[in-house]
Amino acid sequence: MNPIISMNGIVKSFYIGTPNELEILHGLNIEVPEGQFVSIVGASGSGKSTLMNIIGALDRQTAGRYILDGIDMSKQDDSALSGIRNKKIGFVFQTFNLIARTSAMKNVELPMLYAGVRSKERTKRAKELLEMVEMSDRSSHMPNELSGGQKQRIAIARAMANDPAIILADEPTGALDSKTGRLVMDIFHKLHKEQGKTIVLITHNPELAEETDRIITLSDGNIVGDRVVSEEAAAE
Amino acid sequence: MNLGENIKLALASLKANKMRAVLTMLGIIIGISSVIMIATMGNIMENSVMDIFNSQGGSNLVGFQITMKRDAVRNYYMDTDLITEEMVESVNERFADDIDVVSMSGGSESASMRFHREDLDLMVYGVNPGYIRQSMTEVIAGRYISEKDLDKRGSVCVISDKQANKLYGSPREALGKTLSFNCMGTGYDLTVVGVYEYKLNGLMSAMVNMMGEDWNNEVYIPYTTLAKMEGINESSFFYFYININNGVNAEKFASSVRDYINNRWYRDNDSIEVWYQTGESQMSMMSEVMGIISTVISVIAGISLLVGGIGVMNIMLVSVTERTREIGVRKALGAPNGAIRSQFIIESVIICLIGGAIGIVLGILLGNIAGVIIGTMASPSAGSIVLAVTFSMAIGVFFGYYPANRAAKLDPIEALRYE
Ligand SMILES: Nc1ncnc2c1ncn2[C@@H]1O[C@H](COP(=O)(O)OP(=O)(O)OP(=O)(O)O)[C@@H](O)[C@H]1O
Ligand SMILES: [Mg+2]
Repeated sequence: MNPIISMNGIVKSFYIGTPNELEILHGLNIEVPEGQFVSIVGASGSGKSTLMNIIGALDRQTAGRYILDGIDMSKQDDSALSGIRNKKIGFVFQTFNLIARTSAMKNVELPMLYAGVRSKERTKRAKELLEMVEMSDRSSHMPNELSGGQKQRIAIARAMANDPAIILADEPTGALDSKTGRLVMDIFHKLHKEQGKTIVLITHNPELAEETDRIITLSDGNIVGDRVVSEEAAAE
Repeated sequence: MNLGENIKLALASLKANKMRAVLTMLGIIIGISSVIMIATMGNIMENSVMDIFNSQGGSNLVGFQITMKRDAVRNYYMDTDLITEEMVESVNERFADDIDVVSMSGGSESASMRFHREDLDLMVYGVNPGYIRQSMTEVIAGRYISEKDLDKRGSVCVISDKQANKLYGSPREALGKTLSFNCMGTGYDLTVVGVYEYKLNGLMSAMVNMMGEDWNNEVYIPYTTLAKMEGINESSFFYFYININNGVNAEKFASSVRDYINNRWYRDNDSIEVWYQTGESQMSMMSEVMGIISTVISVIAGISLLVGGIGVMNIMLVSVTERTREIGVRKALGAPNGAIRSQFIIESVIICLIGGAIGIVLGILLGNIAGVIIGTMASPSAGSIVLAVTFSMAIGVFFGYYPANRAAKLDPIEALRYE
């Protein structure tokens, strides 16, 4: 099966060209096959979010080659990258990041709006997605009227709006209690099992990481562990 | 992202900060409303002024009056300096082909009369037959002062429709009645030979109406009769007007009349001569004054629009900063830079448009309040409204562009990390 993420010698440096140039990622090689549920773990500051930003087309690698779903990312300009984020990536953040003063429904519609999907279709899809995360009854609520767990479910629905190739979740349960976090994890499992979504999950919680197919461990910008957990993934 | 969504979004964010939005709009409101107010009042003024101008003969009107010579040795007028009947008659004869009507007023005296235990004030004007052309009145019953009245120093008068209604019941009834009044301590009985009414709309009639619903006090009598009342033998004048025939060049006519009078009667006068003014030059003076006024107000409006625009820019920069994280999220969700840019430009345009709309309504209101005070209503031209709307949109785009562009160019990661 074709890898959906294929990274080769990915280097990320900050303050390039200045005396205090800082290399954060030191040449990572990662391949993620389609449909895999991968977790990335590692100490704080090890470079997980930096890697995630590159995977999610929010940032560019300093060196190395990154192919996302057949697209060579180093060759894309800014507007192409925003299109890729829009169609191929679904972000889920630790702090939810719903748009304020905008209903749950409208939040879910937003990526489709930017994709130019027509209003009728948008509403239909948004309804389905809200149903999937069991938030139909809150569709007209504003973010400030929702609990953290509810916000995160809306955020997952939003991430799924344009049926992306990958869901990228950076500590999605980090701001939730364990029970609510469990609920959110269950949604990811559901997306993975029922829809075969490729999911990359960053987490500090080893138990949650153990639930995924594969655990990549980062330390100071290097991959120090890459372990397949589940048998079904191992079978590939 | 489409326009409708952007507008809804902009309105929602304005609603969340109502007070701030209104304060931001203030400059725009003041600027636009003063532009509209100028336009409204300009229309009122222009209509009224043109009304008067045309009723008095428009560009066919020429006025002559005495004035100080450049090398005058005194700075006051003496009786011997005044324009005499002889001069006017001589001009009238010499330039007969060019002249339509000459109008003269020998001044006025105030008078009073008793009517049903009421003291009524009158203003008695001594005029010639041609004066009706200058007085913006029209005879609706009987006749005006005639040459014969002048020659005979006739005890006749022309009163207003309102006076006729009040004193005699109707203009028709008034004819032939005797008007008794007291002037300078002496009682006079004049026969009413005619009734006039003001024939103007707009500013003048408004002013006439303001003086009293049921009374306007001008009574016209022959100037010779007025002179007799004043104990003067020969009437003399500070000024007189000539309405020239169509096709006569006003400027040329006026200067030759002036030269004629000055050569003949004022050559030896050490300080005084006759000076003329044509309707056109009066008009251009008037429009010059109005032009200056509206330029001054326009400059003020322009400055307040500029200040307003800068205020909008400022608030948009604040809004961009406040919503940095939101911008980051939108970018992460795939918003192209253009969508972010247009979102903020639309927001700024909407602030300006709402401000502009309030300004237009306020401007029309203020303009018409001023209009009510001077007694006539007007609306600004459709053009000035279109201009105001276009202008406020342009301000929105112009001053919104920089903040919007800044938002569009934000680095998504930086924006997402913004606390
Ligand atoms: N824009 C940047 N400029 C400079 N240094 C940066 C920037 N972004 C990240 N870093 C640095 O890169 C390193 C890795 O940061 P990163 O956010 O990827 O860590 P992380 O593994 O996600 O940590 P955490 O678990 O706390 O989220 C840190 O030392 C951080 O200071
Ligand atoms: Mg992180």
